[in-house]
Amino acid sequence: MADNTPTLVSGEPQRPRAQFVATGFAIAAAAMMVAGALGMYMARRHASGIHPGSEWLNGLKVPNPQFDYALLTLYTSMVTAHWALWASRRRDTAHAWTAIATTIVLGLGFVNMVIYSLNRMELEIGSGEYPNLAFATTGLSLALVVVGLIYLGLMGLRSVGGSVGQHGSTPLGSAVFFWDFVAVAWTVTWYAVYVVK
Amino acid sequence: MTETKTDMATAITTTEDPTPFGWLTTADHKRVGRLYIVSAIIMLLVGVLIDVIVRIDLTSGTDFVVLDGDSFGQLFALSRETLVLLFLIPIFLGFSMYLVPLQIGAGNLAFPRAAAASYWVWLVSAGVLFGSYIGNGGPYGGNSDLVDLHMLAVGGLVIGLLIGAVVIGATAMTMRSPGLYMDTTPPYSWSALVTASMLVVSLPVLLGQLVILYIDHRYGRVFLGGNFGIWERIDWLYRAPQLFLYSVPVLGIASEIVLASAKRRVFEPLAMYFSIGLLGLFGFGAWANFAITNEGSDIIDGAEGVVLVAMYGGALLAIAGLLALVGFALIQTLMQNRKVPEITTSLLASLGAGKFLLTGALCGFIGAGVDWLEIGDRGNLGNAQLRMTTWITGQQSVMIYGAGLLGVLAAVHWWAPKIWGRQLNELLGKLNFLVIAGGAFLASVGPFLSGLLTDQPDFVYEDPSMTSIYSNLVDDSGAEGLSALGLAGTLIVLSGVALLLLNMFVSITLKKGIEATDDPWSGQSPEWLLSSPPAMGQLAELQDLSSGTPLLDIAEAEEAASNG
Repeated sequence: MADNTPTLVSGEPQRPRAQFVATGFAIAAAAMMVAGALGMYMARRHASGIHPGSEWLNGLKVPNPQFDYALLTLYTSMVTAHWALWASRRRDTAHAWTAIATTIVLGLGFVNMVIYSLNRMELEIGSGEYPNLAFATTGLSLALVVVGLIYLGLMGLRSVGGSVGQHGSTPLGSAVFFWDFVAVAWTVTWYAVYVVK
Repeated sequence: MTETKTDMATAITTTEDPTPFGWLTTADHKRVGRLYIVSAIIMLLVGVLIDVIVRIDLTSGTDFVVLDGDSFGQLFALSRETLVLLFLIPIFLGFSMYLVPLQIGAGNLAFPRAAAASYWVWLVSAGVLFGSYIGNGGPYGGNSDLVDLHMLAVGGLVIGLLIGAVVIGATAMTMRSPGLYMDTTPPYSWSALVTASMLVVSLPVLLGQLVILYIDHRYGRVFLGGNFGIWERIDWLYRAPQLFLYSVPVLGIASEIVLASAKRRVFEPLAMYFSIGLLGLFGFGAWANFAITNEGSDIIDGAEGVVLVAMYGGALLAIAGLLALVGFALIQTLMQNRKVPEITTSLLASLGAGKFLLTGALCGFIGAGVDWLEIGDRGNLGNAQLRMTTWITGQQSVMIYGAGLLGVLAAVHWWAPKIWGRQLNELLGKLNFLVIAGGAFLASVGPFLSGLLTDQPDFVYEDPSMTSIYSNLVDDSGAEGLSALGLAGTLIVLSGVALLLLNMFVSITLKKGIEATDDPWSGQSPEWLLSSPPAMGQLAELQDLSSGTPLLDIAEAEEAASNG
């Protein structure tokens, strides 16, 4: 009997990359949230009639250069985020911190540019179907960017606190993973709402 | 061996603080699990009570009995929200938060504080939800601000549940004991992973849509059409095929209980895991969503109809396959008279839940097939499609009251010793099984027949008061009598829920139940290796787990040794 009893010994609980996996789940959830909103947007767009030429586009002025620059800024921040992760894995803290700070500055710049672009469009919430849908879908993606920035900032602080190296950088890697997703989510939203309209 | 290593997860609490502050600040998976389970059962009582009121009104073909048109719409919506968002999903989260770490040999959940946050966000949102309805909000509500608040409350509920689902998914994937692989985890833990994963990809669809609905309702009501436009865009969460997703844990519960009762392992474990996973996939109902696929149209035809029929067919196969697998183990034991299974409440309820699941899938298949083929000119010539009639109410009753509630009854009876240290009264339990099964049968068969024979509408989205007007037209067709049959069933279900709460109160709170041993059912899975309930810090003792059925391994090894 004793030989067959499973050993009941204490030990280190195994939680390899739990944060990374949880971030993966969160990304899946956020992706479906954006998909749900964009799905509804597209259904309404389809129901609005012939497109382009649909009524809801009347008077719409999309400042394409501003949106393009915002997108480029976001893509640049992806590069700097990966730079931060690369440096953190090599315990190159000076570069890691510089890259994290650059990423956050670029992220804030992106948010600023998008808000500026929306102001230039002179969309008034509640004035029509497109403005309401555009505000909702853009706001959702922009909220994800802000969440990504906070996540990057917090994990950056952990990195500053010494969480570096191959395994120690997993939290920062998770935040960078989320940031990559945020960039993709914004790109899809921007293409659907401001390019295809 | 004497020292116990601690990590972030186990170091959070080492002793239970019995004060309310201790419960408020707990990050122990057992306590959070208990909070979820008890709260969800209380919410169930409220949900069934509201459903009774709604069904009273459906018994009259001439006018509403106790409500007016708007109130009917509000309570109809609230009953669905309570039964799904406040009962079915959270009770699954509660059991999973309690059991998954024990079954996979983890010290705690992957993110215990997030699990606690999940519960409190859910509970506060539930309070806000009820508050919004009390103030005349919710879909079809008269107070515009509180209609908005209702959407925020549903968003809060979804966020709370999502956090819980992410925690369970991450725990099941990353916290397993090193020797325990995914294909050897106990069936309940596998079903928890499948459900959590599918919740993560389906609930946020509602969240994205709620953002749009909120903005449109609050600013201008440009396309929503006021309060009447909300419910039809969010009710997919409370209908099949999404309802099948909430039943996936029932398959895990039934598998655990039937196999343990048969004292056998399933002869093809991978097929069992595959069936559970398949039902999870077919339970992804976000695509069958009025707001995305069907704006402006009520009839499913063409490709959508084919997909729906195929999904119900797949769900039917998955459920039947799994029940055949575990049922075969039971039959094998009976035929070989190896050890005659003890007929427990849990075993009865598991088999009953399986039967209701199968019925739900079969009715979905028939309903979608009839609508798609337009048999009897449904969809043409003015006949309502089955999916617009009370046929859907019948399916909801089968899935929630039949499969869901019986699954919960099985789980509560089976795991009460491990969760609260007391066994529930078995005699009351068996009576409870009969009451719930009988009630669920009547609650579903009335609406099924009414939908099929009299075209009684499930709900009229644009104006709920139309329900009574429509009923008036079919006054002589028997819709009233069949609705009364459904009402009687719901009342019986209500008494079943009260009986369950009474049994829990007497056996657990008053401590009249038999004090549990470590393994009162001769269970198979790892949690039965621990004391009942497991002491604080004891959870880290299953770190060397290499099998999902360690107790069966022991029994078989002993039998082999005694035989030769």
